[in-house]
Amino acid sequence: MALRPDAPHDLPHTVPPTRTPPSGAVVIPPAQVRRSLRSTDLDQVVMTTSLEKIFKMATANSMWPFGFGLACCAMEMIAMISSARYDVARFGSEVVRATPRQSDLMIVSGRVAHKMAEPIRQLYEQMLEPKYVMAMGACSSTGGMFSNYSILQGVDKIVPVDVYVPGCPPRPEAVVEGLMVLQERIKSGIPSSSINQETQS
Amino acid sequence: MAATELPRTWPTQKVLQPTPSELYPSSDNPDLLEINLGPNHPSTHGVLRVVTTLDGEIVVGLKCEVGYVHTGIEKNIEQKTYWKAIPYVPRMDYLSFFSGETAFCMSTEKALELEVPRRAEWIRVLFQELARLHSHLVFLGTGSVDLGGIALLFYCFRARDEVLDLFEMVCGARMHPRYCQVGGVAEDLPKGFEAICRKFIPFMRNQLDQYDELIGANPIWLGRTKGVGVLSPEFAMQMGLTGPNLRASGVPYDLRSANGGYGAYRELDYTPVVEQGGDVHARFRVRIEEMRASVDLIEKVLDGMPGGPIIADDRKVVLPPRHELHTSMESLIHHFKLVTEGFTVPAGEVYAPIESARGEFGFHLIADGGPKPWRVRLRSPSLVLLQSLAPLCEGVYLADLIAILASIDPVLGDVDR
Amino acid sequence: MGVIIRRVEHRGELTLDIPVDRLLDVCGFLRDHEGYDLLSDVTVVDYLGYQGEVAGYWGGGSDGRDINHYSHSGKGAVPEAAGPKRFAVSTTLCKVMTVTDGNHRRLRIRVWLDDNESISTLISVYPSADFHEREAFDLMGITFEGHPNLRRILMPDDWGGHPQRKDYPIGGEPVQFSDEV
Repeated sequence: MALRPDAPHDLPHTVPPTRTPPSGAVVIPPAQVRRSLRSTDLDQVVMTTSLEKIFKMATANSMWPFGFGLACCAMEMIAMISSARYDVARFGSEVVRATPRQSDLMIVSGRVAHKMAEPIRQLYEQMLEPKYVMAMGACSSTGGMFSNYSILQGVDKIVPVDVYVPGCPPRPEAVVEGLMVLQERIKSGIPSSSINQETQS
Repeated sequence: MAATELPRTWPTQKVLQPTPSELYPSSDNPDLLEINLGPNHPSTHGVLRVVTTLDGEIVVGLKCEVGYVHTGIEKNIEQKTYWKAIPYVPRMDYLSFFSGETAFCMSTEKALELEVPRRAEWIRVLFQELARLHSHLVFLGTGSVDLGGIALLFYCFRARDEVLDLFEMVCGARMHPRYCQVGGVAEDLPKGFEAICRKFIPFMRNQLDQYDELIGANPIWLGRTKGVGVLSPEFAMQMGLTGPNLRASGVPYDLRSANGGYGAYRELDYTPVVEQGGDVHARFRVRIEEMRASVDLIEKVLDGMPGGPIIADDRKVVLPPRHELHTSMESLIHHFKLVTEGFTVPAGEVYAPIESARGEFGFHLIADGGPKPWRVRLRSPSLVLLQSLAPLCEGVYLADLIAILASIDPVLGDVDR
Repeated sequence: MGVIIRRVEHRGELTLDIPVDRLLDVCGFLRDHEGYDLLSDVTVVDYLGYQGEVAGYWGGGSDGRDINHYSHSGKGAVPEAAGPKRFAVSTTLCKVMTVTDGNHRRLRIRVWLDDNESISTLISVYPSADFHEREAFDLMGITFEGHPNLRRILMPDDWGGHPQRKDYPIGGEPVQFSDEV
């Protein structure tokens, strides 16, 4: 995986023979050029990119989840966040905020009853742009096994969802994959689904 | 800070009037503040909404509003055959999930008068104890987060992963394994299971010692939990509490040993874990000691596991083994009827309670002679627990309210069903 | 006691049917003199259509594949009537602290009600019946006289109807190619 999205793909393997190193500089043997970036290797250290790309990378790599644990999926979500095995901190998402005003990603984990629909919508409105929603589990994606009077058949009926993670409950690794898919989505420029909402000011 | 000693006599606890489960402020002080805790709040007991009236920091009024995760499971089960209804059941009490499956299967077997083979009963006990461990680990982790000590969460969830590995080994799914079947269990224990389970036992004991080291003598923990939320045994009876909350007040009532127990507990000779304090600290201690008792039970079960079939032999209820389908026409017909229509249960009413991690957990099953249950009612322990929140929180600090709520350990999936 | 209308024993469990107006007396007697100190459960069962026709085993009544129609198909024989009226309110009581180990007994007291009949609340005898009765009111529509706080508990406050009744549709979205929900 490339560390820098705009790194040139054809990194020179050897220093061209006609190039003389600047005076006083340390000559680096060719085999070590790619591995170490020293401040004297200007053409390997400086990269050009756009501000947008930097912002997208920053957004993707620091998604702060709003832990919205409703039912059984919440247990696996907590496992993802606070278990060393499925450590989500390596994705920058370890800061789970209890308030929507300080979080980016609302992980709806669990079945959504009609009574809960209004609080969910309220909380979604309280999140700040850019905001993303992950429907974790079968119940929040489509209603799951509960096709009845009481469960909303998918949380996408009230909030726009960016990523659906199936499973009942999905393994923490599956949720991490959902997070990675969301990161790819953000980095590739797809805006969050909240831009289609009429209530946005 | 020295730990406070609990008074030997119980404080008189009166049932609240007019409503036992709601606390109304007695004064008309205009400075009372009515605030809302939930339905989305960081203590992960689920979506509970508590409307409190505060006088400064002291709780003078309390109302629980539930129903935010009402799933209509009971009505959904009426539409499904007994076999297809089993996956619905663990999703109610989603912390001790295997207990739910076992309770449903036990009530169906009681209605059918079906005898479960001995090995299946022992396997069920093994997994019920693992489910209890799972529930108490999550309780301890999230309970300590509620009290402010976040470190224990990571320890407990690490142990929880080991428990879920055992479930995954036997049936493929971490949570909600749907491993219990009417008549026994779905699959036999795989080959490497016993070795890994035996390695788990000293690991878990070590972990429990670590938890004791972290919180056992911690002055902040003791100061926050001792003497808070005292529940007298008579009041617990009046409010219908069972389970660890009752045993923390000194009543040795545990369905695993009452009247000899049920299932394989009849052969395992279990003694209930009892504490005498009745406060938050005692409730935490009961559950930690129950975790130790569970590990001991798991070891006993592994030592004495009998051989034999893992599911009953009644072809009218249980699927025949697959190799028979190639040779026996009768087995094929049974298989067809069981898969398409389901087995029928004679008309009548049964109630089969078990001891889940929260208390008495039972299915009141009304059968009508057909393949689908007429009515299934889950006697949820957590619904009853929440009724006692208001009387316990009279005159305590807001932080103590959180501690008391954590200690009585409701699960909202169980409350709302 | 001369109040027992009927006594049913099934699978080792005892159920006693008593008249509606004697419920409080009976429960008070059981708590004070017989030692049943724990109210385990209050269950309401709706027996509408219990003796319905024996339908084919692919689901649904003779109306066909209507997902909103309650289904009780495939019965070998029509069961005998469970009781005289539509609703049965059963209270399960248990002896916990008043007995020694080995003698914990359970007993079920059942009363039969019709649609617009009400029943007295058990809160004065067993305070733990509070949430159970509210749930029975919410989901089944049984009115408990004397309950100080009889309002909906599980459904939203402005919900119409009582969902667990047999004439209330299961709801949800229809699923293609499936005769069940």
